[in-house]
Amino acid sequence: MKQRNKKECVAMLLAGGQGTRLGVLTRDVAKPAVPFGGKYRIIDFPLSNCINSGIDTVGVLTQYQPFELNQYIGNGQPWDLDRLSGGVYVLPPYMRGAAGEWYKGTANAIYQNIAFIDRFNPEYVLVLSGDHIYRMDYDAMLHHHKKNEADCTIAVFDVPMEEASRFGIMNTNEDGSVYEFEEKPKKPKGTKASMGIYIFNWSLLRRYLIEDEADPASKNDFGKNIIPKMLADGCKLWSYRFEGYWKDVGTISSLWEANMDLLDENSGINIGGDGSNRIYARNSAEPPQYISSSATVSHAIISEGATVYGEVRDSIISHGAHVGAGCRIIGSVILPGAYVANGAEVLYSIVGENATVGAGAVVGAVQTAAVGGEWQIAVVGPGVKVPDGGKVNPAEMIG
Amino acid sequence: MNNVMSVIFASDQESKLNELTIHRTAASLPFCGRYRLIDFALSNLVGSGITNIGIVTRSNYSSLMDHIRMGRDWDLNRKNAGISVFPPFVLNASREMYKGKIEALYSIHGFLEHGDEEYVLLTNSNVAMNLNFEEVFAAHLAKGADVTVLTYRGYPSTSRRMIVSADDDGRIEDLYITEKPDTKEHWMALNVYLVKKDWLMEVVEYQYARGNFDWEKDVLTKQVKDLKLYEYRVEGYVAVIDDIKSYYTENLALLDVENREKLFYGEGVIYTKVKDSVPTVYGQNATVKNSLIADGCVIDGVVENSVLFRGVKVAKGAVVKNSIIMEHGEICERAVVNYAITDKNVTIREERTISGYESYPVVIVKGKTV
Repeated sequence: MKQRNKKECVAMLLAGGQGTRLGVLTRDVAKPAVPFGGKYRIIDFPLSNCINSGIDTVGVLTQYQPFELNQYIGNGQPWDLDRLSGGVYVLPPYMRGAAGEWYKGTANAIYQNIAFIDRFNPEYVLVLSGDHIYRMDYDAMLHHHKKNEADCTIAVFDVPMEEASRFGIMNTNEDGSVYEFEEKPKKPKGTKASMGIYIFNWSLLRRYLIEDEADPASKNDFGKNIIPKMLADGCKLWSYRFEGYWKDVGTISSLWEANMDLLDENSGINIGGDGSNRIYARNSAEPPQYISSSATVSHAIISEGATVYGEVRDSIISHGAHVGAGCRIIGSVILPGAYVANGAEVLYSIVGENATVGAGAVVGAVQTAAVGGEWQIAVVGPGVKVPDGGKVNPAEMIG
Repeated sequence: MNNVMSVIFASDQESKLNELTIHRTAASLPFCGRYRLIDFALSNLVGSGITNIGIVTRSNYSSLMDHIRMGRDWDLNRKNAGISVFPPFVLNASREMYKGKIEALYSIHGFLEHGDEEYVLLTNSNVAMNLNFEEVFAAHLAKGADVTVLTYRGYPSTSRRMIVSADDDGRIEDLYITEKPDTKEHWMALNVYLVKKDWLMEVVEYQYARGNFDWEKDVLTKQVKDLKLYEYRVEGYVAVIDDIKSYYTENLALLDVENREKLFYGEGVIYTKVKDSVPTVYGQNATVKNSLIADGCVIDGVVENSVLFRGVKVAKGAVVKNSIIMEHGEICERAVVNYAITDKNVTIREERTISGYESYPVVIVKGKTV
């Protein structure tokens, strides 16, 4: 009977991150549920990548503020992941016998769900993280993994040498096999940064997870423990080089940048697509956007249900958001359902879901360059109201 | 409202939508940027808890089937409810299109009998409104009506609207079909009726046996004195689409925020087929005023007083005014489109000019290139 459920590859999406660096934006929601690009949430990218790569069984590992994420994922229908066999499962930590515990680390989260994965008896397990914006064909990576007869394949992304010390760096031989892994090296030897996307042979990973759990000194983390241990044991680790747009949106500045990249034709990010190659999202059932006679809109992305009466430039206006008359929205991201009252200015800012910017208020300031790699983005938290005539300074976060 | 089922008539034989319904039923006519007309009927039914729905089609129903699929977008893919679509060939043995609602209802008596519900809501699908039928049902019971006829206030701008006059209690004293447009305001039938199922089936059988096919003419107008017909007035925004002119004006009427509020943010949510379009992208040269724009558009030209459906492209230097551009329309550089309705997949090449008049918008048929 078990064979009827068999899947070649099961994806496990790590969505438990608290996302502390996103501050008020993740106060009430897990990081993967943070809105992005006018009508998406961050998790739409890995979920859509899965279904577009032919992977129809996905476990989503949550533990921090899971309600909104659970509700958003629902039965997986928007991603075509409502299946008779397989589909999407939300997997919170749970009690086992007398004991139960939170997911201690990335590897422990998978360890705690060994029974779930075993139900599908897969050859391979794809481990993903829920906080990156990118489009990737995991099937091509799996093909690469099989061709090399690897035990583990790690997706890598070329980063500039001067930034390499911020990443986990895979040092590889010419054929792409990995001989060394260095977490945030002070003196990087290479520029191939791990994207946190792994394919493992399940039978092998299963054994390593059990061993790792038995080791009280372990941090139960893929990057810190499992990968170095596999390397030390002489397992065949291969890199899979990803070329295309990839961005970690773990900070306010990078989240803002990724949104702005949508407006830049040269950024390489492409959320479009046709037929079976789209980014899917749960739909909000709103009428088309309305641009009024008093509006000025240029170089912008606007989604359904938005109503615009003021000026919008270099900005993303999400579904159901309102921009009042006489407003100036420049270089900003207005998240779903936010209300910007008449005459307000929102400059290089992120305005949270259902937040209100009062009439004549000024949020943020126009900037020409990042300071030390970080844009000074003002953030109005979800549901927060900036009073009429109020002021939010650049890099300030309220809520 | 577990006690009401519904029959939707996807085509109206009296319709004068001409070019717009060559390839589709009136029910699948695109409306307001991202909807099809039948979305309003379906969403109102679902919002009122009416989930056993039959759709009767006459012809050209493939676009309708493609739109509705299993009814998932309206939450109608249920075990104990859902959508049954009746294409013309199941309706009668001679494989002709049905001649009127009586014949259509006669043909689907199996569907009607099979339902546990005691009441049936009959509706055309050329009406855009946001209405919860629970009040209609309560009124129907309170009045002890044979038929509750939903009405709206307006001008009979086209012929063939049914004008209703009722006494103070709402009992209909007269109803007749106009043969010519009129500039006086009337209460007119929406072609939405609530009836008791057993009674309806008796009437249908009796009339069908006597060669009568027209529900409105053979039953309602002829027997207005004998039957207890009550009107139920629908206040608020109601759009009835039955010709090119009304299609044009009712689309553009939704540029008015008050009409949109009533239609989309009223009692219920209006659902449609989800297409996963990306948000709309406005280029550096975009100038957009007073327009409704669906997702998936790319706009770098001028758009004024218009409705753009999903996936429309307006190139730099192109001008679209007072127009309705359906899905995947492409307006190339320096082309000018004014007072026009372009159907799906129409391309207006560089520097072409298309212009109708407010009273007579020009229609470009589906898939054509100008």
